[in-house]
Amino acid sequence: MSIEIAVSVQDIHAAVETVNDPEYPGISIVDLGLLENVKVNEIGEVVIELIPTFSGCPALQMIAQDVREVTEKLSGVKKVDVVWLNSPVWNVNRVTAKAEKDLAEKFIVAVQIQDRKVECPRCQSETTIKSHFGPSRCRSVHVCSGCNEIVETLRD
Amino acid sequence: MIKSVLPSEIKEYLLAFADDEHLMGQQHTEWIGIAPFLEEDMAFASIGQDELGHASMLYALILEDSSEIDAFIFNRKPEEWRSCQLVESNHRNWEEALIRHWCYDMAEDLRWELFRESSLPELVLISERALKEEKYHRQHADALVENLLTVPASQSRLTKALEEIVPEVVELFSSIPGETEAISSGLVSGKYCDVFSTWRSRVENRFGTLDSKLFTTSDHQSRTKRHSDFGPLYGRIREVFLLDPKAVW
Repeated sequence: MSIEIAVSVQDIHAAVETVNDPEYPGISIVDLGLLENVKVNEIGEVVIELIPTFSGCPALQMIAQDVREVTEKLSGVKKVDVVWLNSPVWNVNRVTAKAEKDLAEKFIVAVQIQDRKVECPRCQSETTIKSHFGPSRCRSVHVCSGCNEIVETLRD
Repeated sequence: MIKSVLPSEIKEYLLAFADDEHLMGQQHTEWIGIAPFLEEDMAFASIGQDELGHASMLYALILEDSSEIDAFIFNRKPEEWRSCQLVESNHRNWEEALIRHWCYDMAEDLRWELFRESSLPELVLISERALKEEKYHRQHADALVENLLTVPASQSRLTKALEEIVPEVVELFSSIPGETEAISSGLVSGKYCDVFSTWRSRVENRFGTLDSKLFTTSDHQSRTKRHSDFGPLYGRIREVFLLDPKAVW
């Protein structure tokens, strides 16, 4: 006997994937590793659990609102709760290879993946860290050893 | 323990920390656009954002409904705040702001460490997150101070600022309402003032030995009373909220 499900987790996942990070239009919050869990019951009540890149991020309300809106549009969805979790703590290793590539190509932003040297998105040379604090809280400032340009780097 | 049944003493205890974090964050963000160089402008903005985030996580534990955090922060009477003088004082000189950042962040991780084995599981998670962020705050403050101390003119200005600010830090560690109950319930593993000696050795390792009197003087008696700088500060931080109290930011 199969249980009738109002809406599938896969459909919700796909909808959330269309939500972009407000700071990086075109890059999905799912590819940035913000989606932790999707829960749905048989009557279409949905709980979407997200984790913030950092607790003081001013975009949390905006992202939650976007996630709620795309999910509410799915047929079979009765109610949507978006919850920001305190755990696990987000880190850059949650960023997918696709997002890493897009950040480099579209935004000239590198990603500080753990234990890996940060490469310059312009000339692929090695960079050295200049400051942990860059133009926004989740970006540090590196300098490229090849082209001498500043490299903004996504960090946790 | 769940938040709806947190005893009022425990809420008071958490409120002192939340209010310290919130006001410290607000004070840091006041350097946006006017810090002496761009890197510090950005660093203070980011560090301030972290502190505001920590405060929000703590307020969420205290309040039944986390959507009321803004209203709770911006609509309270001054006597309902539990912040300490260090975060209320109006330090408008850059050297004082930097020294306060150094002093506060060298004390903050010691405060979060007390929650590592808290009986409130949510607090354990929050402290892990905060401690991870705080590492960068300390690195930032200490690297800058270390460099500036090699310049004689900077060194004398920083030392003067330190002598002003250390007595305010004494109060940060003490007079926390609800601390006895927080310890007996297992919320926190010990008294904050018991780790003051660790903070003091951090200070003296970086700046050299200071007059002992600085570490024992506290001219502010209680977190239930506000420092005279609180009024103008509260006026500035509420300004935008009061334009439209119902707005969602």
